[in-house]
Formats: sequence, structure tokens, C-alpha cells
Amino acid sequence: MKAKITITGLVMALLLSAGPQGVLARDGFSDAVKTIEQFYHVKHRSIPLLARAGMKAVRTAAKIRGGEYKRLAEAGSVRVAFFEDQIFNSRGQIATFKASMYAALAVDWSPLVQTLAPGNEEQTYIYIREAGNKFHVLVVTIDRHEATVVQATIAPEILAQLMKDPSDMGKAVTEDATINDP
Amino acid sequence: MKKLFQNSWRLAPVLLLLLAGSVMTASAQGPKLQMDQLDLLANRASQTVDVKLDGRLLQTTFKFFSGKDRGDAKIKEVLKGLKGIYVKSFEFEKEGEYSQVEVDSIMSQLSGSTWSKVLTVKSKKDGQNIGVYLNMLGDQINGLAVLSLEPKELTVVNIVGPIDLEKLSELEGQFGVPDLGIEQEKTKKP
Repeated sequence: MKAKITITGLVMALLLSAGPQGVLARDGFSDAVKTIEQFYHVKHRSIPLLARAGMKAVRTAAKIRGGEYKRLAEAGSVRVAFFEDQIFNSRGQIATFKASMYAALAVDWSPLVQTLAPGNEEQTYIYIREAGNKFHVLVVTIDRHEATVVQATIAPEILAQLMKDPSDMGKAVTEDATINDP
Repeated sequence: MKKLFQNSWRLAPVLLLLLAGSVMTASAQGPKLQMDQLDLLANRASQTVDVKLDGRLLQTTFKFFSGKDRGDAKIKEVLKGLKGIYVKSFEFEKEGEYSQVEVDSIMSQLSGSTWSKVLTVKSKKDGQNIGVYLNMLGDQINGLAVLSLEPKELTVVNIVGPIDLEKLSELEGQFGVPDLGIEQEKTKKP
């Protein structure tokens, strides 16, 4: 009985010590989340799959320049982290944040599109990496009070269409991940 | 002595840019321009756009532009053989936010022997000054660069691979290439 309690205690201690980093395996997604947290001193909230399913809105198809798709991301491939009701202020150092994001992701991700507007803190970072015959796309969107990190797997034919209008790609992928069914 | 040290410290970023420029001049005879030295302008710009579509990505997705759709067929033709599309664009609230040092860090690369200016568009009204440059090796076009200077805007477009002005106009407004409104009937250098 005593041994059972000790093992349970050890398991709990391990789980607690792992913290959120243990839940988010070290990869591009968690690196991006961590970079935002460290630079802006904010905390994220992960949305579980079931909760995201409840967020489904009226829109059922993602309209992009190349046509209309029922869904951009591969089913079940989406990971989302939200930062809500927080203050994002880069204090004139938005280029440093861009460089930090690059440093955190550059090992196996390539930057595709980065847009920055320090006036209202609006930023979009799209990174990409090959995943077999598909692509992993990582989209970070930030504004004055909110931020979203989305990672999704996208088929090359959809990516090709998204690339026609790179400035709209971040919005399309984020909306697809947070509005449509996961 | 203290004053000299303070002045030297203040000049350090400019000296670094100049040093980077001279290193780039020596190494950038190829069609891909070094543009990362412009990144610090993002702190002063009201809007920054940075697009990097590398050759591997372009060629992987290129085959998914269907020949059936007329628009896609044109894109497929334009993208054929391209090894990269790189764009950096900075918009500012007021004039004078970027300096000649930043412009020179690009110009010094375009002054190499493989680059030649093929088009100049100047507008007194808007203060716009666009230069289009081709990177040639013999008769073969290896790349293209557009440097667009406006009092409140600086844009650099660099396309690596076989590209000409006609193809550039097809790409304008797509793949992150801004709509530069380049008219071909302007100055043409041999």
C-alpha cells in the first residue's frame, strides 16, 4: 500500500514538474508559443479539439483566391493556442520579435510570409516545412490584445492556391482552423 | 577621448551596414540578393511585408497549377524554372525614415558586373523611382531585381531564375510581388 502511494506520488510529481512544456512537445508549435510568451510576458490557452468543434460557425467553406475548399487543413491535423485579453506591446522592438521567432523556428521551418505593423501591433508570421508529400504550415497572428498560433497539415494543391495571395494566407488558415470543424 | 568613443559607438550601426554592403558586393554577383540587413527598418516602418518563396517550394507546388484553368496555366508558365521569389517592402508614416545607407546596401550588389539596369521609371509627382535590373550570364537571364524608392516607401523584389519583364508583369499582384505598375515602354538600356 505504501509503495503504491509512493509510485502515485512520483508520477504526480513528474507530471507537475513537466508543466505546460510537457504537454506541448518541443516542436515548431510550442516553440512559437514559448517565443510569444517570453517576449510579450503573456500566457496562452490551448483549446482542446472538442471545444473547438463547438466553435463551428455558419461558414462551411474556406474561400481563397484559387477557389472554394470545404477545408484547407487535413482533418485532425490542427493545433491551436490562443492568447486572449492580454497586452501585446513590442515597445519599438518589433524587429527583435521577428528575429526571435526566426531563431526559434529556423532549424526546420522556413519563413514564407511575415507582415508587421507596429502601430497596432498587428503581425502575421507564416512558416512552412515539408511533411512527406504534404506541408506543415505554422501561422502566428498577433494584434494589440489577442494572438493565435495555428499549426496544420496542408495538401500541396491547396498550398499552391494559397501561395497566389500570401498576404491572405494567414487569415485563411487561421479562420479555417478556428471556425471550421477541426 | 570619451567623446570620440561615444561618437564611434553612435556610428557603429552605419559602419556595420557599410561593412555588410562591401562584403555583399564581393559575394553577391549571383542573382539572389542579400536583403536581411534591411530588417531593422521594421521598427520604424508602419507596415512591413517580407515574403520568401524558395525554389524548392515553388517547384513542389508548381505542378499543382492545373493547365485547364487559363489563369493557372499562365502562372505555371511563369513559375517554370524559378528558384525563388523574395520581397521586402516597408511603408513609413513620414518621409526620411530610411537612409541612403540602406539603399546603398542593395545598390552595391546591383552594381556587380552580372547585373544591368533595364528599366527606369521616375515620377516627379509621387517622388517614385523604380529601377529594374536583370542578372545575366551570357544570353541567359538568371534573375531580376526591382528597387522601388518612394519618400515613404522602400520595396525590393528579387526573383531568381529565368524571368523577364513580361513574366514580371504577370506576377505583379500575386505571390507577394506588389503591383508596381511597371510600364515597359519606358527607358530601356541595351
